[in-house]
Amino acid sequence: MTNSMTNVEFVQNLVKSNVNVLQEHITDQYQVHFVVEQDQVHYILNILKNAGWIQMSYLSAIDWPEENKFELVYIVFNWEKPVYVQIRTKIDRENPVMNSILPIYPGSKYYERECHEFFGVKFPGNPDYEKQLILENWDDIPPMRKDFDPEAYSKRKFPQREYSETYIVQSEGKSKLAKMEARKQRAESLRGGKK
Amino acid sequence: MKSTKFTPERNISKAETDRKWWEIGDFFRRNSLWLLMYCTGCCAIELPPAMTSAYDMERLGMGPMATPRQADILLVSGYLSLKTLRRLIYTYEQMSEPRYVVALGSCPINGGIYHDSHAVINQLDQYVPVDVYVAGCMPNTEAVMNGFVDLMEQIKNKSANGWKKYHDNYEWYRQNQIQSLGEVDVHDEFHD
Ligand code: SF4
Repeated sequence: MTNSMTNVEFVQNLVKSNVNVLQEHITDQYQVHFVVEQDQVHYILNILKNAGWIQMSYLSAIDWPEENKFELVYIVFNWEKPVYVQIRTKIDRENPVMNSILPIYPGSKYYERECHEFFGVKFPGNPDYEKQLILENWDDIPPMRKDFDPEAYSKRKFPQREYSETYIVQSEGKSKLAKMEARKQRAESLRGGKK
Repeated sequence: MKSTKFTPERNISKAETDRKWWEIGDFFRRNSLWLLMYCTGCCAIELPPAMTSAYDMERLGMGPMATPRQADILLVSGYLSLKTLRRLIYTYEQMSEPRYVVALGSCPINGGIYHDSHAVINQLDQYVPVDVYVAGCMPNTEAVMNGFVDLMEQIKNKSANGWKKYHDNYEWYRQNQIQSLGEVDVHDEFHD
């Protein structure tokens, strides 16, 4: 890397010279994202890893029900050139399958499990992506999908506290005060002896 | 067998003796309550001031305890997710009797700000009996301390009967637990 090149420019060069970038966005000098085709994700992650982006920081998904797509987001980080690179790709929502990146980043094992649990994305190549990780005995569609209704689920599964329909009217407070005042005065008037 | 020394005739019934011993026990219990802090939610942040010199719960004889076997109070501070509830029930059943439950915050009362969450239960007393609720999101420390004093008062009046209720209505509690949790037993990589 020449000194005149910023880290972000370096990443841009690296990514664009290797894969077809559909869309890119530079958040700031520490964060960029690139949208690539689904079948190029592994390739570009490999290249990034060899270039020093050795840390798999996060992997998750975004649900786009209108487009009928899930967007997978891979975030990798480099400790020498501090830039978070997000590699994003859109995959089919009806049958979400994405090959595991376990051979490249072993740390992605649990992220893939999490993503499978919350979005239902399948990761063939990861031997236990189907094991439960956070939710236990989940019995509904994956909860982070936009078409999942948490309120209905909560109503159905968890007993709700019943409240009676009687209210305390705020203005009564005044009359209470007045009553207290009257009582006080009466007590005062009944009190014998010296003032 | 009669001792050779003079023993006054005892005409106190067994129930009466038990009651007296319970009274004595309750006196000591309420003046040395040990907390098992199950800090599930953000309400737990009210405990440091309650325990340290600002409010100093030690002056009420209260202190933290590390194991459920020796604790008197199960303190649930804040929201409970399903996963935590399973462990909470485990913990509750491990505690020796008499055991009391204090719940902080509006989350265990009616779900609080998590009332529509898929992960958080709405009403704790459906699953384990709760003796004292301290309302607020989060309740301030005076309220928390007041909650403990209320519990002592309840023990004195013999109205802190949550653990007896759990015995008597075990089936009902169990049914609620199963309805929300599916299965109470924990199955995960660390237990199997
Ligand atoms: S009651 Fe409020 S402060 Fe307490 S756990 Fe719930 S949300 Fe957090």
